[in-house]
Amino acid sequence: MNLTSLVFLGFCAITLFIYFIIPRKLQWVVLLISSVIFLFYDNLHISTVIQALLVLVPSYIIAIKIEENYNTKKAKNFLIFGTIIIIGQLIYLKYTNLFLATVNHICNLFKIDYQFNFVQRNSLIGISYYSLIMISYLADIYRGSCKAQRNIFKCATFMSYFPILSSGPFIRYEETGKEIFEEHKFNFDRMRKGLVRILWGLFKILVISERIGMIVDSIYGNLNEFNAVFTAFAVFLFPLQLFTNFSGSIDIIMGVSEILGIKLPENFILPFFSKTMTEFWRHWHITLGAWLRDYIFYPLQKSNAVQKLTKKCKDKFGKKIGKKIPMYLSMLVMWIIIGVWHGGAYTYIIGSGLLQFLFIVLEDLLEPVADKITKKLGIKRNLFRYKLYQVIRTYILFSFSMIFFRATRLSNAIEIIKNMFSINLSLLYNKELFMHMIGNIGIDIYDLAVLIISLIIMFIIGLLSRNESAREKLLKQNLIFRWGVLYLLIFVIIVFGCYGVGYDPTAFIYRQF
Amino acid sequence: MKKIIGTIAFLLIFCILFICLRHILWIAPNPISYFYEEPKNSLDIIYIGASNAFTSFNTVLTYDLYGFTTGLLASNTQPFGLIKYLIIEAEKYQKPSLYIIDLARVVNTMDDYTSENIRVTVDSMKFSKNRINAINSILKYKDEIEKKEYFNYYFSFLMYHNRWKNPTKRTIVGDNTLFKGFCLNEETSKSIPQDYFEWKKGIKELDDECEQILVDLINFIKGNNLNTLFVVPVRKFDDEFAQEKINYTCNLLKKEGFNVINFNTLEDFNNIDYNTDFYNKAHVNIYGSTKYTLYLSKYLNDNYNLESHKNNQLYKSWDEEYNRFKANFNSLVNKDFDTFLKQIEN
Repeated sequence: MNLTSLVFLGFCAITLFIYFIIPRKLQWVVLLISSVIFLFYDNLHISTVIQALLVLVPSYIIAIKIEENYNTKKAKNFLIFGTIIIIGQLIYLKYTNLFLATVNHICNLFKIDYQFNFVQRNSLIGISYYSLIMISYLADIYRGSCKAQRNIFKCATFMSYFPILSSGPFIRYEETGKEIFEEHKFNFDRMRKGLVRILWGLFKILVISERIGMIVDSIYGNLNEFNAVFTAFAVFLFPLQLFTNFSGSIDIIMGVSEILGIKLPENFILPFFSKTMTEFWRHWHITLGAWLRDYIFYPLQKSNAVQKLTKKCKDKFGKKIGKKIPMYLSMLVMWIIIGVWHGGAYTYIIGSGLLQFLFIVLEDLLEPVADKITKKLGIKRNLFRYKLYQVIRTYILFSFSMIFFRATRLSNAIEIIKNMFSINLSLLYNKELFMHMIGNIGIDIYDLAVLIISLIIMFIIGLLSRNESAREKLLKQNLIFRWGVLYLLIFVIIVFGCYGVGYDPTAFIYRQF
Repeated sequence: MKKIIGTIAFLLIFCILFICLRHILWIAPNPISYFYEEPKNSLDIIYIGASNAFTSFNTVLTYDLYGFTTGLLASNTQPFGLIKYLIIEAEKYQKPSLYIIDLARVVNTMDDYTSENIRVTVDSMKFSKNRINAINSILKYKDEIEKKEYFNYYFSFLMYHNRWKNPTKRTIVGDNTLFKGFCLNEETSKSIPQDYFEWKKGIKELDDECEQILVDLINFIKGNNLNTLFVVPVRKFDDEFAQEKINYTCNLLKKEGFNVINFNTLEDFNNIDYNTDFYNKAHVNIYGSTKYTLYLSKYLNDNYNLESHKNNQLYKSWDEEYNRFKANFNSLVNKDFDTFLKQIEN
């Protein structure tokens, strides 16, 4: 079910209506039924039902077992066992081809004349989300921060809470889990706020993201026809496509949840205003970062092996560097997992994993050097222009890494990079060729105008939202202004949105994960 | 209470704005959209068919000659399977004495129609259960991919919102080349010589799908006791065996007791000139349509009990449209229509 489709919006409207008219004690049942419908809407098959049950049933039983054996070694064994079952299934369904591709590469390297055929797996929507959510559920019970759910249907409701299945955010039982089972009274203001957020999400996806998608697809799909300038244009546009698509989806999800009365954690806080990559990742896909920090990075740092390594490194390289080496290693593991989670391909591992790790480590290592240089040159780091330089630098680094994320394969990514740096000045001055390229970027001049204006609006809204959300500010305005803005937003989406016949909306970029 | 009133007011304003917007960003006006503009129960005849209907039968000339009114439920490449639903639509607004059904498309299966062909008809129909039934009846023949586009058919704005780049004058102020549905424009006033063609006499059964649709239509017409005349317009057919299939259809309809006129085989309709009366091989131009209209309207006047509304103030718009048609004819063809008419009649 596509988040911007009338089917989804109608589905949400029906769910919300039933949710608020039935006895409040049964509200969670409505969520469960809706979630089951959402989960199997496109993919009802015996294998997908088994997939869902293979995460639900073991998680439910093991959670109770962990709780019963709290603070014992048994609890730890149950946690490991549960994690293996969930991760095992996830790997089997999503990463078999990555494994086979690796084996095929190795066979090629050793000139072994055998190639494994790739397999087609029928996996459920949201499997990467609910699998990690259930691992955190087991880990939280192990840590004693929440109680195991004794009702398997409630457990299923938490696992499959439908708004988050397509694009997240990651929820935790101790926070969102409780809210899902609380009784919620209909609240007009909540509905108003939720609807505004849904509209904003639709604007980002249908008006901006889909248009950028057409440009990026056209240029990336016909690299031979475009010169360095246009390739760079696509490279720098793609992060905006990804952001508007992903954060727009999150806005729709948050809006629906807000109307239900269930508060979800924020997943994006103005990431493109970040001055460093470290800061960027604190504002981009926040819940994934937090999940990996809490359930991978910290446990790794606290593990006996890393503690021993830290001690050894401190003895050998001194306190400062000795502390950093194990930390970087833990970070490397975490970033590889982020890369793998994004998809079963090396392009993801490099684009959203290794390159991010590299940039963050380099930032950390070069920070003292940058500090010295700026001091020597007398550059004031608190000036706007320096901050702007940092913001642009961060955007460029992220854009570069996303070449791999977007590429179909590694060779494609290298081709894009080559194309981007193959500057041929004569082509730049060839007006005819330039106009030919302009005419082939996937959208016409009218769409380009809509895109530019929409991006400016989004940027202004971003600036206005730095201290207080623009939505809150809008809803405080007088009725005429408020309604005027809302009508404008609605009709901009209706008229300029890329939907219906003539458009082939790309699947949500994050839906596949 | 304040919040409820506020919400209702917000939604009402939204609906008003949306209707205005829909008017601009919508399918260009066509004979079907003009059909809805006619006052209730003011049409004596409903003529249903594809492009031949609105290029051949001059509704305003017929009115001027005999005083009865004809509504055209015609659209480009109209699927024959939609005729039943267009009759249902007509019955909601009018109580015509006669239905005229164009048989040109009876030989086409659903595979011959693109989604644009289907949409131009169903999108011109008002939103109703009948429109949904019409869509369903067509889409059941389409493949799974097209069925997934159901929503686009039911909620046509999903398609037409894209017209923001080129809202034409036609969509905003209407189509001034249509005269109570009859079309006269630069194209239909041109003369493109055609080769003479002999109508084949053979007979060939319709495809199962076409036969099923035809039988369904016959049963519907009989079940509702509707006075109906079937016509085959003067035109060439590209499809192999189309003429034989039409002969088969005409025989079947005659056996069922219907009046059928095939203008391609009528002995006393022999003044069509293949050098001057067509603008393409499948359509007569303004000269051919005038001849066709003169013959058919006389036939209707002679054989059906149709009331004349001439000099009735309620039908003033028909006189106005006829005068507008004549002025348009004069400017396009550089001839006086009355003189031209007399030449043909003689």
